[in-house]
Amino acid sequence: MKELARNAPGKMILAMGNDAIVRGGLEAGIGYFSTYPGTPASEIGEGYAALLDEFPHLHAEFSVNEHVAAHGALGASWAGVRAMTTMKHVGMNVAAEVLHFAAYTGVKAGLVVIIGSDPGATSSTSEQDDRWYSLHTHLPILEPSTIQEAKDFTVRAFEISERYNLPVILNAPSKLCHNIGSLILGALPKRFVGTGGGRFDRNPSRYINLFAGSVANHKKAMEHKEHLRADIPSLSLNQVFKGSGSTGFISSSVNFSYLKESLSLLDIDAPIMKLGITHPLNADEIAAFAGKLTRLFVVEDLEGFLEFQIKALLYEHNVLISIEGKNIFPPYGELDVDTITIALAKALEKPLPPSMERALTLEKKLTAGIPPRQGSFCIGCPHRATVYSIVKATDRSAIFAGDIGCYTLSSLPPFRAFDWVTCMNCGVGIGQGMRQVIGDEPIVAYVGDSTFFHSGIPGLINAVQQNADMVLVILDNKWVAMTGHQPSPTTESSPRGEKFSPVDLKLLLKSVGVRYVRTANPFNIKATISTIKDALCEKGGVRVIIAEAECALQNERRKKYEPSPYERYHQIEPDICQKCNECYVQLGCPAIRKSGEGDAFYYYIEEALCVNCGACRDLCPNTAISLVEIRRGKAAS
Amino acid sequence: MRYDILICGIGGQGAISLGTILKLAAIRDGIGVVGAERRGGAQREGVVTSNVRYYPHNPNNTSAPISGLIPAGGADMMIAMEPLEALRQIRYLNESSVVIINNRPLMPVHVRIGDFSYPSLDEIYARIKEATPLVHIFDIDELSLAYFHSLRQVNTISLGLAYALGNLPVSKTAIIDTLTELLKNSKDAIDAFARGCETAKCS
Repeated sequence: MKELARNAPGKMILAMGNDAIVRGGLEAGIGYFSTYPGTPASEIGEGYAALLDEFPHLHAEFSVNEHVAAHGALGASWAGVRAMTTMKHVGMNVAAEVLHFAAYTGVKAGLVVIIGSDPGATSSTSEQDDRWYSLHTHLPILEPSTIQEAKDFTVRAFEISERYNLPVILNAPSKLCHNIGSLILGALPKRFVGTGGGRFDRNPSRYINLFAGSVANHKKAMEHKEHLRADIPSLSLNQVFKGSGSTGFISSSVNFSYLKESLSLLDIDAPIMKLGITHPLNADEIAAFAGKLTRLFVVEDLEGFLEFQIKALLYEHNVLISIEGKNIFPPYGELDVDTITIALAKALEKPLPPSMERALTLEKKLTAGIPPRQGSFCIGCPHRATVYSIVKATDRSAIFAGDIGCYTLSSLPPFRAFDWVTCMNCGVGIGQGMRQVIGDEPIVAYVGDSTFFHSGIPGLINAVQQNADMVLVILDNKWVAMTGHQPSPTTESSPRGEKFSPVDLKLLLKSVGVRYVRTANPFNIKATISTIKDALCEKGGVRVIIAEAECALQNERRKKYEPSPYERYHQIEPDICQKCNECYVQLGCPAIRKSGEGDAFYYYIEEALCVNCGACRDLCPNTAISLVEIRRGKAAS
Repeated sequence: MRYDILICGIGGQGAISLGTILKLAAIRDGIGVVGAERRGGAQREGVVTSNVRYYPHNPNNTSAPISGLIPAGGADMMIAMEPLEALRQIRYLNESSVVIINNRPLMPVHVRIGDFSYPSLDEIYARIKEATPLVHIFDIDELSLAYFHSLRQVNTISLGLAYALGNLPVSKTAIIDTLTELLKNSKDAIDAFARGCETAKCS
């Protein structure tokens, strides 16, 4: 990571797409950074957080949500400090309100918004294409296609933002954010402007968007966009690659590199236009490329944002050629080299490359019916224990109002204890509305600490005000764990012992009018089950249970700094074990394993994996699981 | 030279770290490298893959000339940390792909709860051999436990096996220097790499 801080222009380093964006921001001299962590863009925030010693001028924060993060970055920009804010694609829904005003007011110093998109939803609840937002926010979009461009375009984005007085979006899909490869560094600036270096100059006509002033700013935003649109050919962000024939291609982002590889596999030499800026588009430039063709393919992920724009502008330019895209490429899921190759082979009546044909045939024949492998909670995860207790306490006779975080894994086997999951705070939000119209069935809503602070407080207050009869379990693991352990408002200290200033969750709950608050240690399964049962028996209003235990991965790291004088391990006594499956199937802990054939099988705990959370010991109905503690010889010193 | 490696395994097994080591070694040798990772399953028990794609570095065009994803049938080598995961990724193999498999099945949740049964290892290996005859099977967990008393060196032993059994364009020196710089406990890792090389040669 420290390599990202070196002023060594021309040096080749290994970098993830996200690292390249971090470096791009540094080369552009940013002074303010804000983010709410979200896969695939989380590592950008971690990158800046790790570089604060090297760049003391830089303010970098994990904000409470994307709306706040975007506002913060806008504030820094207005004060003349280059600012970056990053979010995952669905974070844009939360930041959208802020960003709909940003083109109206414009920027003072460059403002760049990084969107980590997730076609294929490999780590998200939706695969929405945020590029469509720009049709009404008027924010320009840059789309790098390689790790090198991820850095270079980030630097360019700041220049464009300042020159055209518009915040600029840089859209990077997960396959670029998490692409790791060579990156050539550029130069760092001699001077950084950041903390203490900004200055706000009053400018009411820009910043006060009210009545006719707002209309005037709307007009200005459109003019800025048209100014940029006219200049696009001179910006060298788009490239045309010559080829033969009258069939051509337009693509952007990682899909450009997939397309190039597909065409090479299909032995097709055709002209390609690579768009580095995908909104706005310059009609003359596109028409000059397409005018020489009879058939044009637009290669992009999701619902055809480029195709939509290109069809409209070529129609206006009277370039009436065949334009294809979403007729052959799926408007959902993620494109890759194989999908593009298969679709183009069919459309262009070409044979598939023999190696691909063979591989796909073998795959179809040989992988049919093999078991899927889905993610599960980590070994020792407190959420696993909490969800187990929720299932036991309710006997599945409750509506499970799911939400977003590590505990979303509750929706998968063995628990399957989620009835829905959509956006942040869909648990308490949808649950409290449903409560008003359904019968007596209990509702148990889930929320993690970070998700609760992100946007759950208004939902909870509403539930309290409307006297919604429900149980809300706050799974407080003290970290934004799923995205790599960024601090949450309840973080008390880092594994190394660095102190934070945690929000007093109980006091907060009390102050918004929650009268019933209980806490539970999830690893004490029996006690947790009875706490949940008590809350279910209590009628009327919102009852909150805080299931409080630190994320197992962070807790393991903590042990390195606070070594225990005891060596501990858990074991299953084979003579006592009744093979009831409670631990192996119902709790499903991956450290509990099965060995032996037929009826002679037995369960055991893999010592190298177990972290001694004790959940299995507490839940075992036959007390077959025990904890062994041995005082270490020298470790205590 | 171009050389494509697909690493597959389960979250927590070190597949991503192994990919990083193979990529850092390329940087040391001045070889271009690129490759996307699937981290969606990076929680325990989920599927993880890492693409490692080497290409000749061109100082005049610093953007990678190839994409981050290996096409179907395109892998020169597959390193599978688990047998079923090797079968799951069979689409990347061609008739001359070299495959290294850790002979340690890990039961997916769906098998635990009885929705699916785990195919026999003979069945899995027979299927993979339909794609390529160059399948090398080792109990890498056992090797790591025997020599290092933990599972921490499974991926560095795999690295040694890969180095000895494939035509990796990166040098041994670059791999060893990478391990030295990257890891706190580099002595064990370098030993493990050497054990992997030896094991492959003896096999």
